[in-house]
Amino acid sequence: MKTRVRLALSFCIAGALAAAVLLGSGCADKPKRLRNARSVVILGIDGMDPILLDTFMAKGRMPHFAKLMQEGSYSTLTTSTPPQSPVAWSNFITGMNPGGHGIFDFIHCDHTNYMPMFSAALVESPKKTMTIGRYVIPLSAGRVELLRRGEAFWQILDQKDVPYLIFKIPSNFPPVECKGMSVSGMGTPDILGTYGTFSFFTDDPSFASMDISGGEVIPVTIENNRIHTALIGPDNTLIKENPALERPFTVSIDPENKTATIAIGQETILLQEGDWTGWIKVEFDVLGPLKKISGITRFYLKALSPHFMLYAAAININPADPALPVSTPPGYASELYDKVGYYGTKGMPEDTKALEWGVFDDREFIEQADFVLDETLRTLDAILRDYTGGLLFYYFSTLDQTTHMLWRDFDPNHPAHTADSGPFMYQTEEYYARIDSVVGAVQRRIPKDAVFIAMSDHGFAPYYWKFNLNTWLYENGFMSVLDPSDITGQPLFRNVFWRRTRAFGLGINGLYINLRGRDAEGVVKPGEEYDALVEEIRAKLLAYRDPATGLPVVKEVYRREDVYQGDEVNNAPDLIVGYHRGYRCSDESALGEFSNEIITPNLSKWTGDHCMATDVVPGIIAANRPLLVKDPALTDIAATVLHLYGVERPKHMIGRPLFE
Amino acid sequence: MFGGPKIKLDKDLFDRVSRIAKISGYATVDEFVVHVLEKELAALEDGGSDEEIKKKLEGLGYIS
Repeated sequence: MKTRVRLALSFCIAGALAAAVLLGSGCADKPKRLRNARSVVILGIDGMDPILLDTFMAKGRMPHFAKLMQEGSYSTLTTSTPPQSPVAWSNFITGMNPGGHGIFDFIHCDHTNYMPMFSAALVESPKKTMTIGRYVIPLSAGRVELLRRGEAFWQILDQKDVPYLIFKIPSNFPPVECKGMSVSGMGTPDILGTYGTFSFFTDDPSFASMDISGGEVIPVTIENNRIHTALIGPDNTLIKENPALERPFTVSIDPENKTATIAIGQETILLQEGDWTGWIKVEFDVLGPLKKISGITRFYLKALSPHFMLYAAAININPADPALPVSTPPGYASELYDKVGYYGTKGMPEDTKALEWGVFDDREFIEQADFVLDETLRTLDAILRDYTGGLLFYYFSTLDQTTHMLWRDFDPNHPAHTADSGPFMYQTEEYYARIDSVVGAVQRRIPKDAVFIAMSDHGFAPYYWKFNLNTWLYENGFMSVLDPSDITGQPLFRNVFWRRTRAFGLGINGLYINLRGRDAEGVVKPGEEYDALVEEIRAKLLAYRDPATGLPVVKEVYRREDVYQGDEVNNAPDLIVGYHRGYRCSDESALGEFSNEIITPNLSKWTGDHCMATDVVPGIIAANRPLLVKDPALTDIAATVLHLYGVERPKHMIGRPLFE
Repeated sequence: MFGGPKIKLDKDLFDRVSRIAKISGYATVDEFVVHVLEKELAALEDGGSDEEIKKKLEGLGYIS
């Protein structure tokens, strides 16, 4: 199988050239700076929920949102189907629904082999190489491709030379070719080409045996109070056998003073237990001294005793010298670095995996999330200092990532709520209040006649119970297995007997018919058989009740042709499952695995979610002027921006202007 | 399809294979055996990259 997921180091090396090729000649022009043009400022607050917002507003914690509500407008904002961030932000960006832009889930299906694929971007190694001794030299650039279809609304603004800065919008890696300034957001990988792999250096044997996702446990030994270890970099595809690059470093422990000194590259850092470093540049030697690749990371000294524990954040692409395209024009990322110093580039900056696996506790996760928010605000401050007009879109990840992890702390009904939740019960409220203060601060700094909009892509709901869709399909006769004696423990459909399987679940909301003529071993004929099967599955899912609670699990089962319009409809899952509040697809089912029970309690730390039915988790929109419609939707924002700048809306955009 | 070299199975294993093939709805025992072997070979040949994909997708917070 094509290893789409590996970050080709050889691509990185050709990256500067490849970026120019990919991004085209448009970026050779100087960007249109944020100069005197109509001022439109949009704060994209991922995951801000109307129920939580209303609750905190009633407590007096959201005075600036309350003011917008009284003097301007406030409404729920219809989200995407399904309400997943890459889908929702693609709706926002293109003014189309998934039938137009082609992003249906975090995970899509490769119908040639039923394998999951990441939906947002494709990174491939160069196809042409030449081997000289132990070196493999790329003769062509690798490929990094944004898989979202359709024009971004800012590309359309280029028709009228409208200046803009689109800061860290999700679903825009690599950033689309355009004349303005943009920085890529969610979907941007780390230097390993993953969506975030932290390192945890420890001599605690209980961690060494763990098989974790989103991180690597690196066992260390302490000799004479010294540790010699290394950060792991990307595979060096310029060398045969592709060994991983390493950046060695040493740690010298002073047990008497309870400090540790890290020596890495040119840097020497003294830490006490509980100390974080700032961003540190890390270089990997690709071809000896001839070529280096760099990233940035942060260390956290969690403990010196009884066990040594040192966390290193996922190695982010270095904004001062990016190995992959993270901005338009390519030089903007380093220009921003010149103003604010190092800043994170990884698409999802909060390290939820470190909390999930017990590397962080709640307090440490919050510390790291606070760092992210502080950096986000520092960068916003620098941008606003130069801002005199044009479109500014600015993204906040904080509420989404922290509400995912901290829901169990404020919701006593959650099965993962414990006595340890107490100190963090009000943390979500504190984050909402901080965002509210940003809403006030930004409005004070922009022109008085600016259009100001604060919006979110979706809301939130508790994630109490995991629903294994594939187990449900199996128990209802829609799926068949090779070995029925134990259906569990085999991911990626390894136990599936495709010739007797009529439907399967893949992705967080996707349900596919095993269709003849499309799927590798498709059995269901298009036409009447397909239609009858779809209706049968829909009816049964909607009728299904949780045996433990008697509650319905599935609120909606959307047929793709009923909810999507555009050229990409036939690439969508055949059905999109919309869960009731409290329920979501299980992790196992999303990756083609069965579990023994259809429903299990969610005892993970990831306890708030939004991958439910569309109307369960709307987002919000608030603005300093009245809304023109009563039922605003994400797909309306693109049309709104074009309207505000007097640019004609293309016919494929389904949205309406929301403001004058 | 089945004209190549033959492989011997002991009786107990053959009985188990026959039982599962019947329950699973295969037309013949041969069809089941070939199918299972094809799947196993594909897993071994592509298993590394499948695991890589799984690990990368599990790196998304949405999936543990």
